[in-house]
Amino acid sequence: MSSALWLAVLASAIGTLLMRLIPLLWMQRRLERLDGEDGVEAMPRWLALLGPMMIAAVLGVSLVPRHADATAWLATLVGVLATLAMWYYKRSLGWPVVAGVATYGAVVILAGML
Amino acid sequence: MTLQATSSLSRPWLTGVREAIPLLGGYVPVAISFGLIAVQSGFSPWEATLISLLVYAGASQFLFVGMVAGGAPLWLVVVMTLLINVRHVVYAPNLAPVLGKSRWWPWLMHGLTDQVFAVALHRLPQLPEAQRPGWFAGAAILAWASWVAGTVLGAVAGEWLVARWPLLGQVMPFALPALFLALLAPRFTSRRWSLALIVSIGMALLCALTGYTNVGIPVAAACGALCFYAVKLPTSRQGDNDKGGNDE
Repeated sequence: MSSALWLAVLASAIGTLLMRLIPLLWMQRRLERLDGEDGVEAMPRWLALLGPMMIAAVLGVSLVPRHADATAWLATLVGVLATLAMWYYKRSLGWPVVAGVATYGAVVILAGML
Repeated sequence: MTLQATSSLSRPWLTGVREAIPLLGGYVPVAISFGLIAVQSGFSPWEATLISLLVYAGASQFLFVGMVAGGAPLWLVVVMTLLINVRHVVYAPNLAPVLGKSRWWPWLMHGLTDQVFAVALHRLPQLPEAQRPGWFAGAAILAWASWVAGTVLGAVAGEWLVARWPLLGQVMPFALPALFLALLAPRFTSRRWSLALIVSIGMALLCALTGYTNVGIPVAAACGALCFYAVKLPTSRQGDNDKGGNDE
């Protein structure tokens, strides 16, 4: 890898790190200024809302299968339902993921046998 | 792994490691793909590994090696890489109120990816403040290590792996949407929140289907937030207030 390419890697790495780090330092200073106030109250309202919305957006993107054929979409739909059903039953993080992945895999295997 | 409202952990970093395991289902297959594509794009295995180690941001890494292989100017490669990663700026401020005063936090921010953020936002408020850095370090380091290890594997043996176990690569990535779903489910506390979240999910899905995956994430999140403020549904439950995202 050439020196210029190394610089590009380093610039990308440092830039990405700063985008993760500087907002933390900004928010920590803001929290210090508003000492004694509840942390959630100290956060701008739009920011408190944006966190869950970002997770929802990443969920939306990750729902699209890499090989988006009919089987993958069917497996995604059934996997989502299995995940939600297990979450409703267990109210935990791990089991719904296991149930979702297992169901997704079962649908893919069954569809392959048909 | 049942989560309790307030739990005291003897080894919080180990709990963080355990609770980040579902992330691996999404990380490892994608990291293997990255290692494979990087090598096919002309990078050596150790160069691909170093990119994963230093940049550690999935989508932008794919773009980086793709643009370099395509002969794009390096300044443009860097700009595009950073543009894709700009969504990260909202993660730390969302976590800051629950992070506490440990001096370790700035050092741990390299590990703040989409997935680690999602798990941490849900889990950190449930832990005593002193245990949060340990939990986060465990979760973030496992995720980082799995990303780097997956890259090495993909760069060295990617082609063989894909040929040997094609089903594994097809099924395991579903762990990520399943995890996000389990994280978001408790936030459907009211019609107002539900509508906003569904708008955000739907917009992101639409953007991904039309080829605008990376720009789709912040756009969809903004649409969901706008929907939350624009649509006033009859207040039925406590979750309708603006802090509903933190109220479960």
